[in-house]
Amino acid sequence: MSAPSAHDVCVIGGGVTGAGVARDLSLRGLSVLILEKGDWGAGTSGSSTWMIHGGPRYLEFDWDTTRRSCEDAGHIVTIARHMVYRVAFLIPILPHDRNNIERMETAMEVYDRFQPLKKSNPHVRLSADEARQVEPGLTSDLVGAVTLEEWGVDPHRLVFANVQDAVANGARALNHTRVIELLRDGANVIGVRYRAADGSLSESRAKVVVNAAGPWVPEVSRMAGADVQLRPAKGIHLVYPHRISNFGLSAETVDGRDVLMVSHGGFTLLGTTDDDFYGDLDSVDVTEDEVDYLLQAFERIFPAIRDYRPVRTTTGVRPTLFKWRRYEDELSRRYEVIDHSADGAEGFITIAGGKLSMYRVMAEETSDAVCRKLGHQAPCTTATRPLPGSESELEPAAELGQRFGIPALAAIKLQSRHGSRAADVLDQSDAGRIVCRCEPLTESELAYAARHEQVRTLADAFRRVGVAAGPCAGAACVMRAAEIIGRQLGWSASQRFDAVREFMQGSWLGRAPVLGHSGWAQEELAQGALRGLR
Amino acid sequence: MVQMYKPDGIRPLTPAERELHPRLIGCINCGLCALAAGRLGNTRLPDLASSYMRLYARLADASSDVEGDDPDLEAASAACPVGLPLTEVAAVVRRLAAG
Repeated sequence: MSAPSAHDVCVIGGGVTGAGVARDLSLRGLSVLILEKGDWGAGTSGSSTWMIHGGPRYLEFDWDTTRRSCEDAGHIVTIARHMVYRVAFLIPILPHDRNNIERMETAMEVYDRFQPLKKSNPHVRLSADEARQVEPGLTSDLVGAVTLEEWGVDPHRLVFANVQDAVANGARALNHTRVIELLRDGANVIGVRYRAADGSLSESRAKVVVNAAGPWVPEVSRMAGADVQLRPAKGIHLVYPHRISNFGLSAETVDGRDVLMVSHGGFTLLGTTDDDFYGDLDSVDVTEDEVDYLLQAFERIFPAIRDYRPVRTTTGVRPTLFKWRRYEDELSRRYEVIDHSADGAEGFITIAGGKLSMYRVMAEETSDAVCRKLGHQAPCTTATRPLPGSESELEPAAELGQRFGIPALAAIKLQSRHGSRAADVLDQSDAGRIVCRCEPLTESELAYAARHEQVRTLADAFRRVGVAAGPCAGAACVMRAAEIIGRQLGWSASQRFDAVREFMQGSWLGRAPVLGHSGWAQEELAQGALRGLR
Repeated sequence: MVQMYKPDGIRPLTPAERELHPRLIGCINCGLCALAAGRLGNTRLPDLASSYMRLYARLADASSDVEGDDPDLEAASAACPVGLPLTEVAAVVRRLAAG
């Protein structure tokens, strides 16, 4: 075991909240170590609906969460402006919907009061004809529609931008590193023992340990002898590798829940389900029933949905605060900062619950609690300080593309990930060649991610720069991608093959539930192309 | 609504394009069309459906990629194993890219 390092704070969990805490505390001048057992944002954050939204449905039972969420969303869209984009929704109303158009418009009128907080436009009411003009794919049964505006974001990049800024301000950030034990000195928690990706064990002393492990919060709390109870909820999404509808759509499920079809960059997310989950958090499967439940809801308003080919599914578990009796969908998205001194674990703080759209304020309040404990007085600056890449205006994509000899479309995608730092990514390599044509992604950006963005596996590269995220699901690019990453990380030929095999087997688990829905032609091509690996 | 979101790059499909849309994005990126015909402007033919059709909301910023000569799109479509109508794909991409 290597000699222990020492930090002011150790953060356990590299989702958006943990990354936000690490950034906040680093900016306040504290030394921080953040540890993530998988990859940055690979858990709940990455399997979200990719939205910074206020949550109009919480208005019915949790007004305060909607307000706080909208307020923090306003900060996030300012500090992450190169990553966010407006997502406009149509909420189609059918004759027998739970809410008729008057009720729905009333709800939107209330939500309009919150919209300025996050720099969004108020709703518009559309007749059936107007709605079908805007989106010709809507059913002819339509009564009318109202609109709703939110913000979209790539959560993987949002998480990583927080990690990146934390590191730029002195933090140490380790992914693929699992905390196996908390170090104790009597009633005090004084650090962590962890296992790195290569299997080596290390210790780090810390004056405060923050548990920001999302749905794994109870597991980490138990290491300190503390009991934090959550009511974990499983949510799945279907992923289509292209834009489907002109605007986002909201649909009602057979049991009266609202689900969304959200168009992001070059793909569409359709979801989410919301079910109590009692299983293994590290192995959450998607069932065909869940897929059909979502398709059934959208078929009612957008009949052509079954003509489209989903390419994979995502699944994650929300770390919802515990409450007895309530139906999953009505559970609050509130959060709680817990100081475990009273549980006999001095120096141990948990942040539980919450949602992506208010990660920054969750991180701020957690950091405030840490600073109180340390007697450290420094103000939070994360509400106004831009994340890396959002410091200045973007160069027109066509000009950037021309300057570096890459398609303008590749430049658009590059800027969506790196913002005003896009040219730095291309500067560091002479390769403007495209490795993943669906995305499209340059070889230089992938090499940069391996060198500077802690990409250690192909799945990390999928999250960080979108490799293999398109319609072919990697059939055309993963071998070359492994070669490029491997060159940076010193992989042997067999390590490259192993990396591809591991990626294809992992992504199969997400694809299998939707293949029955017209994906077999693609799958056969991928299997054929990579047959040598079997 | 369409006007409101035009500055954000959102360009809706027309009813005729909507009808065709599921077929326009069915590309499995096998690359056979690229063997049958040349590029459309600077763009490889498989990229039209597997990449440009995906991002139809921001294509106006990438219009320079699809300016230039047409390849033999009929021959390219004939080579496609999943029956992608590449002539229509090219027309939609160019219309959206024109803004």
